[in-house]
Amino acid sequence: MKIRPRSVQNQGIPTASMADIAFLLIIFFMVTISFEVDKTQVALPKTDLRFEIPKKAAYISVTEAGQIRVSSGEEISVPVPGPEEVLSFAAQVVAADPSKPFVLKADMNVPYRYVDRVIDALKQAKAEVIYLLSEQQTVDDEST
Amino acid sequence: MRLKKETADPEIPTSSMADIAFLLIIYFMVTTTFAATRGLDFSLPQEDKEQPLVEKEESVLIEIQPAGVLMVDQKRMALEDILEYLKPKLERNPMKPVIIRPLETTEYGHMVAVFDEIRQAKDKIGVEVKNVSIPTQREIEMFWY
Repeated sequence: MKIRPRSVQNQGIPTASMADIAFLLIIFFMVTISFEVDKTQVALPKTDLRFEIPKKAAYISVTEAGQIRVSSGEEISVPVPGPEEVLSFAAQVVAADPSKPFVLKADMNVPYRYVDRVIDALKQAKAEVIYLLSEQQTVDDEST
Repeated sequence: MRLKKETADPEIPTSSMADIAFLLIIYFMVTTTFAATRGLDFSLPQEDKEQPLVEKEESVLIEIQPAGVLMVDQKRMALEDILEYLKPKLERNPMKPVIIRPLETTEYGHMVAVFDEIRQAKDKIGVEVKNVSIPTQREIEMFWY
């Protein structure tokens, strides 16, 4: 009796769907990517309570050295020399949109006098609400 | 003599598609930063120059000194004890004003920690602190002295 030769299995890894998977990942990244208007590196304070910040909010960042940058939420942030300029910036933003929220992105180690002047400028400009940008407090943070 | 025409392959070459796609993925993975988009909201009172919003004597004053030392109504207190101190006062008067006053050299993070604690009053002691204010130095000079 004649025995048929065994069918030889293909040893290669199928890569035909590789491009599909890759394009799916690209679409995911493209949809989820959000461009930050302010890329200032600060150590944010940690809080238990955190609320979602509305999109297109105006940003004011304060570094540990007290340097201030501002953005109306539409364009990349620009440095300003001092709190007086924050007042004129905030007044312009509030004049354009009275209910515009402001985000204060300040370093947790900055002396409070810098933040005080920024908050005062926002109060004078009649801003309605400020979001104090923070990171989530964890159990490890609380124990240290 | 008859020459044989070379026929071009009509297919679009797609063999490099995966390479391009993976290059794009690597680009997005490297450039993506997970931005912090959450924080504590703080509603600002609309300025009224006629009269101060809070009477200093009737309120609870939380002074925050450098390194996070807390003086509540002139008494030193730990952050965790503030709400227990406030509870009987808030039960008597739910509109009891609470003033947070960080000193100029106090680190901003300590002010946020105190504000965060006070905002959690409803969850921790069952009474909400409805009247919290963080006066600025200019307001203190205008209204308190």
